[in-house]
Amino acid sequence: MIVHQLLSGAGPHDAVTGQARAYRALFSGWGWGGEDVAAALDPRVNGDVRPLARLKPAPEDVLVFHFSAYAPRLRAALDLPGPKLLVSHNVTPARWLWRYDPASAVQCAVGRAQLPEFARRVDLAAGVSAYNAAELEAAGAPAVEVLPILFDRARLEAAGPPRPPGGSAPLILFVGRLTPHKRQDEVIRAFALYRRLHAADAQLVLVGEPQPRGFDDRLRELAEQLAPGAVTIEGALNRAQLAQRYRRADAFLCLSEHEGFLVPLLETFHYGVPVVARAVGGVPEVAGDAVLLLDPQSDHEPAVVAELLHLAVTDEALRSELRRRGERRLEHFSHEAVARRIRAAVERVASGVSSR
Amino acid sequence: MTTPEEALGRGRAAVAERRARGEDLDAGAGFRVEPADNVDPAQLLEWAVIEPDPELVYSTRRLGAPVTLVKRLLIRALRQYIVQFVDQQTRFNLQLASLVSELDRRVARLEELSREGGGSAPPT
Repeated sequence: MIVHQLLSGAGPHDAVTGQARAYRALFSGWGWGGEDVAAALDPRVNGDVRPLARLKPAPEDVLVFHFSAYAPRLRAALDLPGPKLLVSHNVTPARWLWRYDPASAVQCAVGRAQLPEFARRVDLAAGVSAYNAAELEAAGAPAVEVLPILFDRARLEAAGPPRPPGGSAPLILFVGRLTPHKRQDEVIRAFALYRRLHAADAQLVLVGEPQPRGFDDRLRELAEQLAPGAVTIEGALNRAQLAQRYRRADAFLCLSEHEGFLVPLLETFHYGVPVVARAVGGVPEVAGDAVLLLDPQSDHEPAVVAELLHLAVTDEALRSELRRRGERRLEHFSHEAVARRIRAAVERVASGVSSR
Repeated sequence: MTTPEEALGRGRAAVAERRARGEDLDAGAGFRVEPADNVDPAQLLEWAVIEPDPELVYSTRRLGAPVTLVKRLLIRALRQYIVQFVDQQTRFNLQLASLVSELDRRVARLEELSREGGGSAPPT
């Protein structure tokens, strides 16, 4: 079978590009051919994803659209004759971006408006979470399915021994793009209060590339104001460096206002780091019962976050129970199980069209 | 021991106790992300003036400094042309934003008159 993947954009640290590569590795393993193309290509992407204009599919080739933002040229590919699968990676609501990143806000606003057309014109539409899938269903997709993010824990570094509870200088971690809707400003604020109430020597590490450029400076300024010298902001890290941050972390704090899936949750489960997170979008589905979830309506107070962090850092029985449950969540999202679902979805799309 | 299910309740209770003791739980001022749900006319006026920042023009390539330099030189070389369309777009934006502000004021005034008139239809 020939399966081509079409992306809105491809970048070196982009999660959707990472997923397309993971899909491609599976496809190659199953003996399927095809190529991966993107409407917008970062020059740092090294050859494995090519410009969209290079795509010349045969009529029977399967087309997998990875949709994450507005892409005018991608729309034209909907007219191609092949069977089509849409994988929606969720488009950030523009309301979080208008003030800080107008260009991305436009892409997101138009992307969300364009999604219904993609959803209606493909043979099968898949969301990476039930939350995403519900959006596709509402958009009028004829057939909807959930294809969770393909996560291979075997590619991560070893977890190492669990951190003892209540040690000196607890380290709080968040991993994710430095971007408005991820609310690192709230993380800093809650962390500063946690320091004041419970652990004066605590440290916070924020890992992620800024988007828009310069957003990290605003966060640095806030950190210096509220917790001088206690916050480290790091750009994109390699796998070994990231593993080192997870191993050193006593708790992971996510106060994001919008998430389609949140891959770092699975990483925290692998490294055995207790998590406090706001229950938004696809987060509760990924978290299951293995995360201390904050109600997005009623738990906006940084003081509640600070108290939960204190429990997550110091209560060994709680930490151990969360680790145990996290392992169970990893089984639920195992690479093999998700790979089977992806294969079934692609084969369903391919056979559906050939039997018409 | 606290179970994960009990943790949130314990956290909330701890905060309530602190508050009852009169503790200061203010998390501090400073930069706060604000979503743009209802953009008011004042914000529209601010956004109407287009001021692209040449510092945000850069190359993402490894060793991209020369490319960044070329891009910024190009902007400088085309400055007269760029200024023209920035000015023309800003003129349109400002006039439109002013018009929206004026309409906003008129709607508010009509609503006020309608309330004063006991809910009767506003004068046209």
